[in-house]
Amino acid sequence: MSSKVHSSNSIAHARRTVQQLRIEASIERIKVSKASADLMNYCSEHARNDPLLMGIPTSDNPFKDKKTCTIL
Amino acid sequence: MAAEKAEMDVLKKECDGLRTQIEAARKAVNDGNMTSAAGSATEVGRVQLKLRKSLKGHLAKIYSMHWSSDSRSMISASQDGKLLVWDTHTGNKLVAVPLKSAWVMSVAFAPSGNLVASGGLDNMCTVSNIKAASPKTLRELDAHTGYLSCCRFLSDTEILTASGDTTCCLWDLETGKQKIIFTNHIGDCMSLALSMDENTFVSGACDSLAKLWDLREGTCKQTFSGHTSDINAIQFFPNGNAFVTGSDDCSCKMYDLRSDQEVITYQDGSLNAGVTSVSLSNSGRLVFAGYDDFNCHIWDSLKGEKVGVLSGHDNRVSCTGVPADGMGVCTGSWDSFLKLWN
Repeated sequence: MSSKVHSSNSIAHARRTVQQLRIEASIERIKVSKASADLMNYCSEHARNDPLLMGIPTSDNPFKDKKTCTIL
Repeated sequence: MAAEKAEMDVLKKECDGLRTQIEAARKAVNDGNMTSAAGSATEVGRVQLKLRKSLKGHLAKIYSMHWSSDSRSMISASQDGKLLVWDTHTGNKLVAVPLKSAWVMSVAFAPSGNLVASGGLDNMCTVSNIKAASPKTLRELDAHTGYLSCCRFLSDTEILTASGDTTCCLWDLETGKQKIIFTNHIGDCMSLALSMDENTFVSGACDSLAKLWDLREGTCKQTFSGHTSDINAIQFFPNGNAFVTGSDDCSCKMYDLRSDQEVITYQDGSLNAGVTSVSLSNSGRLVFAGYDDFNCHIWDSLKGEKVGVLSGHDNRVSCTGVPADGMGVCTGSWDSFLKLWN
């Protein structure tokens, strides 16, 4: 009795695995060279808007501690 | 019995056939890797970010942090049993949310800034309203049978969770009930990242696989292999067509969705520590990866070279995050401090 339940669970599991693999096998794939080129283009197009790449002028730096001036 | 065995054999044969087919299809488009393509990209040079603030307040290991969409507030979670909301411009603490369970592993800010979510070894995701006079628990999402490793809001009414029970789940915050359960991983889910259009998300798990899911249909659309140990962290590349993972195998990888495979690995012989967290700068060019070696190493995402390091923590870097305006990077550590760099 229990072995029958076990094997029908295994079959159900195997069927789900086949179903999942069919989904994954059916997609269209683009060439890695094209994917890489697109990623490179994105980086170069957005580089000027990347503060961590371009640097942040002190006056515009939100995290820099603002030191008060002391008049001696 | 014989009939069942026969069916199993047929199914197994079909599985093997499909796997071979997928590998062949991936190989067919694998006409070169990113490193060679990036030969023509300009050098990034040495990236030297300075420590701008050390946020002191937690009394135990920090496990998670998340930026608010205003790029100014940030929330952190520590196993001292508290969530702290910080004003990162002044370094002040804005709100403290006491937790029922101190064993927190993940924290998230809703895009609206009104709600926060957290959870961990209590297997629950607790959603609180931090705009009330004092933080008020709105919902306790209780259905996972394993720890909560990651949570991300889609809006004030929907949240996605990842769990040690190997599933991810989409919840309706108005009813407090599960809407969709995403099952396919065979190891603890450790991390998830939502796509910009909120139609899909990616998850990383202890089965060393990353998966792409259709958020509305609940189906797994693609599976990405390559790592040889638990994937602890996952983030989308800003163009939405690729994502970066960080793993206990001491490497990070970038996978492209449309090629259905890994396009570059970020690893170094001298780096023998697991990766706990990853985040990207706004252009996607820099990858900030937190490691068990107490540092956050900076990688050139295109050339695959290490271009900098954020040193200063006295224990494992457990979380990193770049705010929406890209103006800095925050690292959180088991040393109980959060540091802001730019």
